[in-house]
Amino acid sequence: METFDVVVIGSGPGGYPAAIRAAQLGASVAVIEKDQAGGTCLNCGCIPTKTLIASGDLFHRIAKSEELGISVGSAEYDYKAFADRKDKVVGTLRKGVEGLLKANGVTLLRGVGSFVSRNVIAVDGADGKQEIGASKTIIATGSDSVMPGFIPKSKLIVESRAFLELTKLPKSLLILGGGVIGCEFACLAAQLGVKVSIVEMLDDVLPMLDKDVRRQVRKYMEKELDIDIITGAPLEKITTTAKAVKGKVDGKAVQAEMMLVSIGRRPVTDGLAIENAGVTLNEHGFIPADADCSTSAATVYAVGDVIAGSTQLAHAATAQGCTAAENAVAGKAKKAAILIPGCIFTAPEVGVVGMSEAEAKEAGRDVAVGKFAFASLGKAMAMGETVGFVKWIADADTDQILGAAAVGPHATELIAEATLAVNAELTVSEIGKTVHSHPTLSEAWMEAAHVLHGSCVHAMPSRRKLKIKD
Amino acid sequence: MAQPVLLPKLGQTVEEAAIVKWHKSVGDAVKQGDILFEIETDKAVLEAESFFDGFLLKIFVGEGETVPVSSVVAYIGEKGEKVPDAPPAPKVPVKVEPAPVKAAAVAEDKKAIAPVIKAAPVVSVSSPAQSAPVVAVAERVFISPRAKALTKAKCIDFKVIAGTGPNGRIVVKDVEAYLESSGYNQLRVSPAAKRLAAKHKVNLLTVRGTGVSERVMVHDVERSIAALPKKMSKMRQIIASRLTSSFRDIPHFYVTVSVDMTDLLIYRQELKEAGKAYKVTDFILESTILSLEEFPAMNSSTDGVNVSWNESVNLGLAIGLDSGLVVAAIRNSQELTLSELSAQVASVGAKARSGKLMPDEMTGSTFTVTNMGMLNVEDFGAIINPGEGGILAVASTIPTATVVDGKIAVRQIMKVTLSADHRIVDGTTGAAFINAIKNKLEDVELWKHLTS
Repeated sequence: METFDVVVIGSGPGGYPAAIRAAQLGASVAVIEKDQAGGTCLNCGCIPTKTLIASGDLFHRIAKSEELGISVGSAEYDYKAFADRKDKVVGTLRKGVEGLLKANGVTLLRGVGSFVSRNVIAVDGADGKQEIGASKTIIATGSDSVMPGFIPKSKLIVESRAFLELTKLPKSLLILGGGVIGCEFACLAAQLGVKVSIVEMLDDVLPMLDKDVRRQVRKYMEKELDIDIITGAPLEKITTTAKAVKGKVDGKAVQAEMMLVSIGRRPVTDGLAIENAGVTLNEHGFIPADADCSTSAATVYAVGDVIAGSTQLAHAATAQGCTAAENAVAGKAKKAAILIPGCIFTAPEVGVVGMSEAEAKEAGRDVAVGKFAFASLGKAMAMGETVGFVKWIADADTDQILGAAAVGPHATELIAEATLAVNAELTVSEIGKTVHSHPTLSEAWMEAAHVLHGSCVHAMPSRRKLKIKD
Repeated sequence: MAQPVLLPKLGQTVEEAAIVKWHKSVGDAVKQGDILFEIETDKAVLEAESFFDGFLLKIFVGEGETVPVSSVVAYIGEKGEKVPDAPPAPKVPVKVEPAPVKAAAVAEDKKAIAPVIKAAPVVSVSSPAQSAPVVAVAERVFISPRAKALTKAKCIDFKVIAGTGPNGRIVVKDVEAYLESSGYNQLRVSPAAKRLAAKHKVNLLTVRGTGVSERVMVHDVERSIAALPKKMSKMRQIIASRLTSSFRDIPHFYVTVSVDMTDLLIYRQELKEAGKAYKVTDFILESTILSLEEFPAMNSSTDGVNVSWNESVNLGLAIGLDSGLVVAAIRNSQELTLSELSAQVASVGAKARSGKLMPDEMTGSTFTVTNMGMLNVEDFGAIINPGEGGILAVASTIPTATVVDGKIAVRQIMKVTLSADHRIVDGTTGAAFINAIKNKLEDVELWKHLTS
């Protein structure tokens, strides 16, 4: 039986960086993958959606480019070509991951991994079953879409993975669940002319965001993209015919050519036989893990979507994967990073980091907020993209930046500066004193910092007299 | 019209009290239910809530002042309303009436309503003695204004810097030399951590950094702030002073016995199934009351010269709250039946946990029982509540290998420890008393009799 220092189960954004980091530290490493290298993120998550969204967004902008002085007649798109481009991008990146694993001397084993005992793992692949020894194991098996039993089985009802495999869009789309995935797909489809309706049981879509941020996104989705958003009521009596999915919300009938179910994700532990390693799953099927990614079994680590309390973000999984590998190889107990920015690729985009305004208030902090709207920013006006704002959430007492949110053009890129600021525990005045180049969207951060202190040159004066802080 | 605020009546035995802290200042808006001030008697610290909406117009009794109960301490009314310059004379003596427990302590003057008292109280009994704090006189350190500003900006303590100016005055050069020699210049500090340190006057050189490359982060400074000495709550201060005086002045001795609870627990289950639910505590308390009647020496107290045998058993019940420890007293407990006792124990427990015990209900206990049975402890010794002759500490009931009729059997064993005041009782009395409790708990026939 071949034995490895570290065996990683799953080669997604948590698994493959864990394997490479362990190999970098000199360990002998195997990765077990039951499907495609790269996991959900690369094959049926972040990368394919963002590839399609890039095409969809450009089409939407072209279609609306008349105000910039461009007339293109009636712009058209070929969704099959979108899908082909997406497959190409995914294929290239997948080869990249496989190449990196190989170059780092990591053994890639194809099949389903399951614990025989704490240190022996069976790999059930196409060429039969083999057993390997593992001094340490890192579980990075990720998550999968939830498809509850009350929803009828039909090819017209899909979850995100199947939706990404479409080569033709339906004329109308009903989306169950107004979380990040539901809203991103809603914007993509609506930008390409699909009539979209979202049904969300909670009181609003994207409930994790501050109300002001949420309102910007919802307003744009409803007013500009003509998406019907129905909140605060469940979708009931779902039935399918040959060409339509029907249901009722609050007694009113809804109908579409296709339905996308995006009501959450469940941890993937099927076939893992994790009890043989001495690990007990929690009541929802997630693996309980400590801040250093260790589990209740001494040699077993877990990272990414499969662990309890996960943010279900690829970059969180990657940070945890690298930390778990370092801890597994060096026998340390370093904590994985907990400051995880969040990006939502809706129209407009959203980026958030640290505490939201609501969270900071809930925590009993004396909160100061500085907001600056893109409508007041030269570059945003020049680009013709004036929706949204950036805001700092700070401790009024110490001026410490507790969190930030950006909603609007390139918000997912803009949040990087704020992430650095929160991570480095900068104060708002330091952002204000950092000269930002003009004309850029990033200037909004500096302006918002000035707004927070009442010293903004490009905002209407406040009644309070200005006191320059150091 | 402006409403007078009275110092609340605190029960039958309390005639005066001190306001230790005002939560509102003159001019503040006050809502009904807002905490106005904190009162301290020699027994407890209580919070007084407002009965009125309006503005605090005048305060007559400042922090630290002691006045009789029902004195007018402040006025609440609309902004700009006229109020008297001096408080009206207090209407004392107060008629003896049951102390209001939950709300309305209505004084005789109908317009003057004393604030609702939210009791968040403490251990009962005598000596209020609290020594005045010793104030250390700091040695004067000479420092130039510029140098001082620099130490402030750098968040360091200038008192440790050696001055080279006239009269040992610290000048900027000295501070700069210190920053270099002390390693300050190598210190990496996050901007927010520095702000926080400056605000709380934390010396950054004493903070251990745990960020990347030992950078001092906000949570490091927070750790240092948490380590700074800070005032304990009034309640904890009272607990501290009372327990210290008890442990210092009373020579404690301890006697432990193992009680076999097996049979009683089986009988308790039978009672429960028959619809009569008792807590294990009820049986322990009843055994203690019966035994105290047999051993009046244990139900006594001394000042070191005189000893007083109490005529009734006022059983103290130690109740742990988040804010501290409270002893609730059950007066004349020897007159209660087991079911009456059980009901009273449940009632004072609930009151204590909701902060509604009145000072009266926390005074006058003659012997206390403290039960940590639910906290998984094998045994422990307790400190005597001042003014009492002893305290019984009850530990958890644990299945234990025990010799029964020459054979090893698993029995439910509970250890109880008596702490006794050696000035009043000796080992023989202590041993006999605690065995009396043990024998009662192990005598199921007694419980059948008491529950029939």
